[in-house]
Amino acid sequence: MLKMIFSRLVFMVAAGLLLLTFLFALFHLIPGDTARLIAGDSAPEELVASIRSAYGLDQPVGAQYVAYMQKVLIGDFGMSNFSRQPVLSVVGPRLLNTIALAGWAMLFAVMMSLIFGCISAVRWNSPLDKSISIVSLLGICTPIFVTGVVAIYLFGVYLRWLPIGGMTTWRHYLMPALTLGFAQAAGFTRMVRTCMIESLGREFIVTARAKGVPEFLIVIRHALPNALLPIITFFGLGLGGMLGGAAVTESIFNWPGLGRLMVDSILTRDLPLTQGCIFVFAMMFVIINLIVDLLYRWADPRLADAQP
Amino acid sequence: MTTHWTRLGAITTIIGAALIGPAFSQDAKPQYGGELVLTGQLDKTMFPGRNTDAGGMDVYLNSCETLVELTPQSEIRPVLAESWTTSEDKKTVTFKLRQGVTFHDGTPFNAEAVAFVFDEAIAKKFLYVSLLEGLQKVVADSEYQASFRLAAPSAALINNLAYRTMCIFSPAAYKAKGEEGLGSNIIGTGPFIQTEYAKGEYALFKKNDKYWQKGKPYLDSIRILFVPDITTRLAMLESGEVDRIAGVPNFDIPRVAKDKNIALRTMPSLQQHYVVINNTVKPLDDPKVRQALNYAVDKAGIVQSVFAGIGATLSQAPTLSPGVFGFADMREPGQATIFPFDIAKAKALLKEAGYEDKGDGLKDAQGKQLSLKLYGRKAGVGDYEIAQLVKTFLEKIGVKVELTVLESATFSAALSVGPKDAKYDLAILSWTVPTADPDEPMMYMTHTKAWKPAGANRMFFSNPETDRLAEEAHVESDPVKRAAIVKQWMAALLKLAPVIYLPTVNLTDATRTYVHGGVYYPANVYDGSFAWIDQAERKKQGISR
Repeated sequence: MLKMIFSRLVFMVAAGLLLLTFLFALFHLIPGDTARLIAGDSAPEELVASIRSAYGLDQPVGAQYVAYMQKVLIGDFGMSNFSRQPVLSVVGPRLLNTIALAGWAMLFAVMMSLIFGCISAVRWNSPLDKSISIVSLLGICTPIFVTGVVAIYLFGVYLRWLPIGGMTTWRHYLMPALTLGFAQAAGFTRMVRTCMIESLGREFIVTARAKGVPEFLIVIRHALPNALLPIITFFGLGLGGMLGGAAVTESIFNWPGLGRLMVDSILTRDLPLTQGCIFVFAMMFVIINLIVDLLYRWADPRLADAQP
Repeated sequence: MTTHWTRLGAITTIIGAALIGPAFSQDAKPQYGGELVLTGQLDKTMFPGRNTDAGGMDVYLNSCETLVELTPQSEIRPVLAESWTTSEDKKTVTFKLRQGVTFHDGTPFNAEAVAFVFDEAIAKKFLYVSLLEGLQKVVADSEYQASFRLAAPSAALINNLAYRTMCIFSPAAYKAKGEEGLGSNIIGTGPFIQTEYAKGEYALFKKNDKYWQKGKPYLDSIRILFVPDITTRLAMLESGEVDRIAGVPNFDIPRVAKDKNIALRTMPSLQQHYVVINNTVKPLDDPKVRQALNYAVDKAGIVQSVFAGIGATLSQAPTLSPGVFGFADMREPGQATIFPFDIAKAKALLKEAGYEDKGDGLKDAQGKQLSLKLYGRKAGVGDYEIAQLVKTFLEKIGVKVELTVLESATFSAALSVGPKDAKYDLAILSWTVPTADPDEPMMYMTHTKAWKPAGANRMFFSNPETDRLAEEAHVESDPVKRAAIVKQWMAALLKLAPVIYLPTVNLTDATRTYVHGGVYYPANVYDGSFAWIDQAERKKQGISR
């Protein structure tokens, strides 16, 4: 187990270094003059030149790369071009906001999908199952920016039940978390349903029924744990997808999270900040993968002692 | 054509009706108290010297005041300065400053502070420093008298000093915290003190109880929320979560106009779209050809199809729009725009210039086809759509147009080179006159000295007459005479047609009707610092915050 965690950490560092190199290369392949973009279209030439030297953009690419990697390795991602604050101090609080949003959305999606997925599987082919399937299909098909805008106009403008933007009170969490969670819950529900139908058809379920175990316990204690394995991987992937979807949700609901920060930084061509955001996002994915692997071993004792 | 006009007319009526609403209640007695919630756009520092965006000004103008201000009627009004005199040789402008004003950090506002801010601006090359060209030094003559020493007379100086970005921040705070410190906490003499700031979330301004204008401000606080998505912004206004937004999407305007609790305003901005014409390329060096290109473009069609008939106004003068000093209506009598759409006229002019279309493209006497390279980008509002339309219009008169659409940064680089390296014949751009003074367009956009890469003259347009007029206007301190020169300059531009003049972008803002006294400037700056809220009306609309 420890060995696996260790090898995963080594992998994480390697992935991180590769990613940084890639990011650095990417931004130097993008055409256009960064200094001019910072200065503005009609800025005088000397201002552009002074910005170029201030940001080290006049150095050879090799020297810029070495300087960048040296700084990054001691945790210095540089200063945001526009807000002139250290990148990590900008990214940090935003990351926490995104985790809060994605966390609540994930909790909602997992609860909903387990409940409705199980009901659907138990009442397989009933009208109830079919309605759940239709709703979840709708959820999968509708992009977040549509659900979000519909929710805003319904609950925010017409009914005035919920606030639209910001994250000041718990009520501010409801719409963005539910919007983000709904899209994932829909996909999760389908997965839980499929796995549960398969699990409920297995022989040990027949045995349990023959022993006279109540149907509720059969579902919770026997069928669900055995259906969990593929579901856990799916949840993990879903959490990753949720971080991606957060960029849209955060923009719509004015949530000061990492996704919105990344979009803003790309639009303003704030390269150090974009690099910081992409790096943190990618590392989040790696960490989620590690957690999924650990959970997988916990859910399937057969894997616990196996080599990675 | 007819359909364009009827529709435009109908829409103007809607907007006109919306404007009357708040105008009536403007005379009511201001009420004290309440918080005004605005939406803003601040993706850079809050330090005025490093952020000249309208979105930045919206934020720091609540705390940081300028020496003078420009009213929406284009009049200069004293703020921190009480009065000023210009020396005989026009090279020294002396300001008498307001006494008894203190910065929010408790330090006194005086001539020392004024001198410090401008000397620092020159030394550290603040973004606005090009507007102060010729300013050598600011000297504190006494506690409340400061002199601006110029290398050459500049009539634009006073108007430029009204530019919000040239506000006087506290030198003591600047010395202690630096640009970065003031970039997140601006300290000036204004009616509001900035107390909270969360980047990308909100900025909070609390009433300055020691403000020098007795009885002002009326509001307890101003909260500016940074909401990037326009749909969200609009929804927040409709639900009453915010009190005012800017930039209502063109296609939402008819719906919002129906809401009785929201006052909608539309006015021409200081931003005019245009097609850069490379004046050094043959046959574009011939004014007749350039005029012909102007007549060939259907501007009303562009307003209708790209801006939904609402988002832009037909230009009434070259480069300048209403709200800029010296603006005059330069349209021919009875015409809706300068260079009204007229294919026959375009063809006639081209024929005079030696080009004719006999059904197989526009060719000169030697049978050579007129072919032009048009550069465009997918940016801003409608840049790409306009490029497509201009291509189509020019092809209608037989010009072969090769449209190249570039990514923003590449486009910007391609348009920032001198005449030898310029590869474009035409390019879609827009220009703004942020200070609402014609000095910048005259000296920095069309003057021979302003050829790229030195200035913003990407046309490489050069004319001794317009250069002379620009220089005259630059030093003329008598407003009436200066306005006359500006008008002559515009008349010359109409003959020379250095660019293809396209419509002026409109600004639209929407405010809840209980907000009174906020001022929206054509430079897209909103000043709500002396606004007030009608509490009873707000309650009636069911808004409790």
